Amino acid sequence: MKLKRTDGGDEFDVEIVAHEGEKIRVRIDGRDVDAGVHLSADGGAVIALGGRRFRVFGAKTRDSVLVTMGPASFEFEQVEEGRARGGRGLAAHEIVAPMPGKVLRIMVRDNDEVHAGDPILVLEAMKMETTLSAESPARIKRVLVSEGQMVDHGVVMVELAPVTPDS
Amino acid sequence: MKRREIKKLLVANRGEIAMRVIRGARLLGIKTVAVYSEADAKSPHVALADEAVAIGPAEPAQSYLNATAILSAAQITRADAIHPGYGFLSERPEFARAVHQAGINFIGPPADVMAALGDKIAARKIAERAKVPVVPGIETGHPAEIHAFASRVGYPVLIKASAGGGGLGMRVVESESQLESALEAASRQAKAAFGDGRVFVEKYLPHPRHVEVQILGDLHGNVVALGERDCSIQRRHQKIVEESPAPNLSEATRAKMIDAAINLGRAAGYCGAGTVECLVDGDDFYFLEVNARLQVEHPITEIRFGCDLVVEQIRIAEGEKVMDPRTPIGCAIECRINAEDAAHNFRPSSGPVMHLSVPAGPGVRFDTYLVDGLEIGTSYDSLLGKMITHGATREEARLRMASALGEFSLLGVTSTAAFLHDVVASEPFRRADLSTHFIEEFFSGWRPAPDGDDLDAALIAGALAASGFFGTRGVRAAAKAASGAPQRRSPWDDLAGFQPWRA
Repeated sequence: MKLKRTDGGDEFDVEIVAHEGEKIRVRIDGRDVDAGVHLSADGGAVIALGGRRFRVFGAKTRDSVLVTMGPASFEFEQVEEGRARGGRGLAAHEIVAPMPGKVLRIMVRDNDEVHAGDPILVLEAMKMETTLSAESPARIKRVLVSEGQMVDHGVVMVELAPVTPDS
Repeated sequence: MKRREIKKLLVANRGEIAMRVIRGARLLGIKTVAVYSEADAKSPHVALADEAVAIGPAEPAQSYLNATAILSAAQITRADAIHPGYGFLSERPEFARAVHQAGINFIGPPADVMAALGDKIAARKIAERAKVPVVPGIETGHPAEIHAFASRVGYPVLIKASAGGGGLGMRVVESESQLESALEAASRQAKAAFGDGRVFVEKYLPHPRHVEVQILGDLHGNVVALGERDCSIQRRHQKIVEESPAPNLSEATRAKMIDAAINLGRAAGYCGAGTVECLVDGDDFYFLEVNARLQVEHPITEIRFGCDLVVEQIRIAEGEKVMDPRTPIGCAIECRINAEDAAHNFRPSSGPVMHLSVPAGPGVRFDTYLVDGLEIGTSYDSLLGKMITHGATREEARLRMASALGEFSLLGVTSTAAFLHDVVASEPFRRADLSTHFIEEFFSGWRPAPDGDDLDAALIAGALAASGFFGTRGVRAAAKAASGAPQRRSPWDDLAGFQPWRA
């Protein structure tokens, strides 16, 4: 993915290429960087890199990616190439694997109606569970994976049909 | 004098200072009433108080500056005292007068004292009467006199609005040719901003420090001082780092300043907590103004003197004598964490608090109203919280501050924490090379520009965040609120099996 500093304008090509346990290999502008990622109870993580430990928190909003590292905060714009996540400003029509992992649990079935924020499925990656949720009210069109299945980065796992609220 | 016991205190403010005042009142067993605007309905000061009254829409003029609404709230709740905090109505004599006339105790100086000190020209006269040095200056009158004055003290000179404050209505005049048009423009601006076009001209001190003395006066005519604070580090004439005591100040100058502040307080008939602000140039000091209220930076004085200034304010308003200040201990520093982007000329920022990490430990205090999930808007001032550290020495307080700010983390709102961390950790701050130009001298063009491993770590965190790695519920809900996506249903929707309400 491409991450662009919202203000500075610097653009970086960042890709998670591999992980094992708490180790992660990230390609930053063609350069492989190995780091440790240790999840904390408060939802943040410690990134171990070059003999130092960085305490980070992050969030993804519709328009940007927010990160704090100690007292500093950074805002990135995700310059998306590749897979459709719905157009900008539209809710996603697919639940896509954000990283390679194992489908741990699926909370929905075909034709279920979900609210915004409802959990859809849990993916295990890097020994950590990530819950993927509906971004807006939707009907489940098709569940394309099953529990226990390994998926690669970018694989469409669930298809959604948006419904308008109160319809 | 008869003691006027306070049983219920209305706090006419919001944010961290409302929390601070409520805590002070609670210590004395006094019930508290919070007031809040529509924008602050979910703000923590509302939850903390014993009672809460909505006073109007978000716009300050219709809520926190709405004297009528606030007085009504006090009457409805039968509050017998009002604490104005700082800002908003705290220095408006007409409000203090209206509170008094309603038979309610105003926590602050009498309205006429406040009025005299709030007018810069009148305050200068009080200072001169108390033999407190003032910056050589002249009230505007005949243009020839002003020209003569400016040539005598030398350019540049400073034009100030008599009714101004907080750096508003000030302009520097570099040469004689600009004087007349600058006077005209300053007067016009002052008239527009403060409804009072009077201006005066002062000698301009090119490299001053800002040092102020905390005073407390009581209804019996006693005035004491609780040391001084150096507040030189400012952005846009507003303080961002304060410390006590003022470093590199000779004992003789310190003693003279404190005496002058006490004399001025006595001359003004001062009552309650107040601050005498001075400019310091080497060993000379000049009276600047009196802030007739509790200051934002009061905690550094509290920590050194082991006292609670809100409690003192309330006791003074009840008619008690001022405390006997104890010998101060150690050094204290305060950093104001604002919702601002220091890399872009301190422009205001806003957003939901998605995650908050607050430091703790010996000698660390954090006065704030930040809580997870709080929506920070732009209707009010940008102060989010005040980090305060104490140490046996200045260096200990400084290192503790650097460490505390390093532990601080706020996701969702751009804050000045990283900037303040760099300021406190810097060599100019370590050697206390202080002046009101500190930021432009040493930190102009500051950017949170990580490189090397720092940048890589930030990018890895960015890639993880973009992949949905930090997917806790609170963060996700807040992120949705920020993105404008449909929010989670109201928690009320999850309550089932209740009958409709019948009154």
